[in-house]
Amino acid sequence: MAPAAAAASPAAQPTPPSLSLPPSQFARLQPHAYLLAHLSPPAASNHPSIRANGRAPSQFRVTSANTGSLTHTNGSAVVRVGETAAVCGVRAELLHTEDIASWSVTQPSAGSANKRRKLVDPTLKASETVGDSSEDTYDEDESHIEDLNLLVPNLSLSTGCAPGFIPGAPPSALAQSLSQQILSLLHSTRLVRADDLRIWYQPPNLGPEDLERHNESEQMDVDADEGEKNREIKAFWVLYIDVMIISLAGNPFDAAWASVLAALRDTKLPRAWWDIDNETVVCSDAVSDARKLTLRGMPVASSFCVFEADAAAGWRAVILPDAEEERKIAEDNRKGAQRRWILADPDGYEEGLSQERACIVVDKKGGNGKTVIVKMEKNGGWAIDSRELRQLVDISSQRWDHVRQILEQC
Amino acid sequence: MVGPNVTLTPLSRADGSASYQCPSTGSNILGSVNAPVELPGRRDALKPEEATVEVFVKPGTAPAGVGERYVEGIIKTMISRLILGREKGYPRRGVVITLAIVGGQPARRGDSYLTLLPALLNTSLLALLSASVPMSMTFSATSLAVTSTGDILREPTAEVANSAASVHVLAFSSKGHLLLNESQGAFDLDTWDNVRERALAICRGTASFGSDGDVTMTVDVDGQPLEGAIREAVEDQVHRDYAWSIDAV
Repeated sequence: MAPAAAAASPAAQPTPPSLSLPPSQFARLQPHAYLLAHLSPPAASNHPSIRANGRAPSQFRVTSANTGSLTHTNGSAVVRVGETAAVCGVRAELLHTEDIASWSVTQPSAGSANKRRKLVDPTLKASETVGDSSEDTYDEDESHIEDLNLLVPNLSLSTGCAPGFIPGAPPSALAQSLSQQILSLLHSTRLVRADDLRIWYQPPNLGPEDLERHNESEQMDVDADEGEKNREIKAFWVLYIDVMIISLAGNPFDAAWASVLAALRDTKLPRAWWDIDNETVVCSDAVSDARKLTLRGMPVASSFCVFEADAAAGWRAVILPDAEEERKIAEDNRKGAQRRWILADPDGYEEGLSQERACIVVDKKGGNGKTVIVKMEKNGGWAIDSRELRQLVDISSQRWDHVRQILEQC
Repeated sequence: MVGPNVTLTPLSRADGSASYQCPSTGSNILGSVNAPVELPGRRDALKPEEATVEVFVKPGTAPAGVGERYVEGIIKTMISRLILGREKGYPRRGVVITLAIVGGQPARRGDSYLTLLPALLNTSLLALLSASVPMSMTFSATSLAVTSTGDILREPTAEVANSAASVHVLAFSSKGHLLLNESQGAFDLDTWDNVRERALAICRGTASFGSDGDVTMTVDVDGQPLEGAIREAVEDQVHRDYAWSIDAV
């Protein structure tokens, strides 16, 4: 006891030269109070309510994107959202149908497959295809991607991207759930067309009555239907979508999804055909033959977090008001511990101080630019309800315009 | 609509447990809760003033994969906000929730898990109640599918969810807060408002609504609100457990 006290007293003895701490120290020691002081400045000081990183509550970080950086991939992109950076590479590999164990059993006759296929006419616009014939084409068109796992996204955080993640460690729970989120968003938005991934084979028509139908398979019309009957799928492209978060400063999902989207927009698949003599799939070397994927829409993710003035609101059961009572308190009239802010695109510092998250993925379809929500998540609290979600969807659709500009320029 | 089939404390060795069967999806979940338990020294147990919540989801037929990690994260975020982790005996300790999917359709790779999520959430609530873990409020969760024609279907099976335009999972607290929303598939906010209203009616009944003809009709379809069913199951169990003391009076 005595040595401990003796050791403590000299440490306490020299008083610091001044009682003021530099802001960076204060931010580390009292993170919650630091952010709160920024967001609710004293009325006298005439400062605007601003986040500790200098952004307004609904302001996103500066975003930049660059595609085609990796030469050994079919498509790649680097997306930076502030200090968070994600690299995504898309690699295409061939999957022969003869390597799929259940292929010959599960496939319906080629004729019905072709009838279905006609509904996904590539000349139609993406929006029209999704809007009009999604019901009819769903089974044939998309079940291949899901059943055969033609899209394989993986996200890696073990790159030394942040102090909490050790390089070379097994994938953390966060990395795994981000991979799952990307995969399930790819499936639910049906972003990639299964038709782009199919490699067809049209056996030559040897019958005498088919002589006039030797035009190429793109020019399908009703007359060609009988000739199309023998067409069969010989192989699929499997897209391996690998995302590396090389720097993590909060909000990994937005950056990762934007990089996946940019990389898929950049992806070119070589022209491939079935070579009957060698019984294998042959790809063309020529870059001019390669074609880009035609994606359905452009869903953009926006994430938010809720910062609450009262750090203890979650566990003090007594003060929890009913939802109805709470709704009556208008957002401007909230004071003291009731105040809360919804912060767009949280950085790592803000993520550590908030429990409630929301993520909204929106797309705009057609000429009228109507906002369609593709995915909406909120979890971890009760500050966000219908009214707040409505505002967040508005912010997300503004963000969509912004991200579209960035992705179209890169 | 038939209410869920609930058994409280079916496992004798765990601190608390519950089994929950959803009649419409057929999913059957067995959940156990151990709390408070000592966790081994962990790097990620960062908050020394609060309990650490751990959730494990075990699919019935396969080892857990990334889908389970994701759904574990959702359950953990939601529940850790409700557990009073600063009560006596809880800080620096763990609340371990294990949920085994015993019956129903297994989820495939890349599946959203949304059809199973409400059953998993309701099971974990019942198991937490059975283990007497202090919580700030209870909740009830449900899933809804919106078909391409705009019909709202309650608790869809995996096939229905696959062909639906959008699938939504919502959880409401016992005080009426929207605790969780997971929506997937294309929809707009007006659709979502209808979904929210319907989900609120399923979870908490329609006490908060006026005498609208349409709303009263959905009440008949939905039967007893979920929260009431959960409350009743717990009341019955408490009544059975304390029968000796009630009889003695």
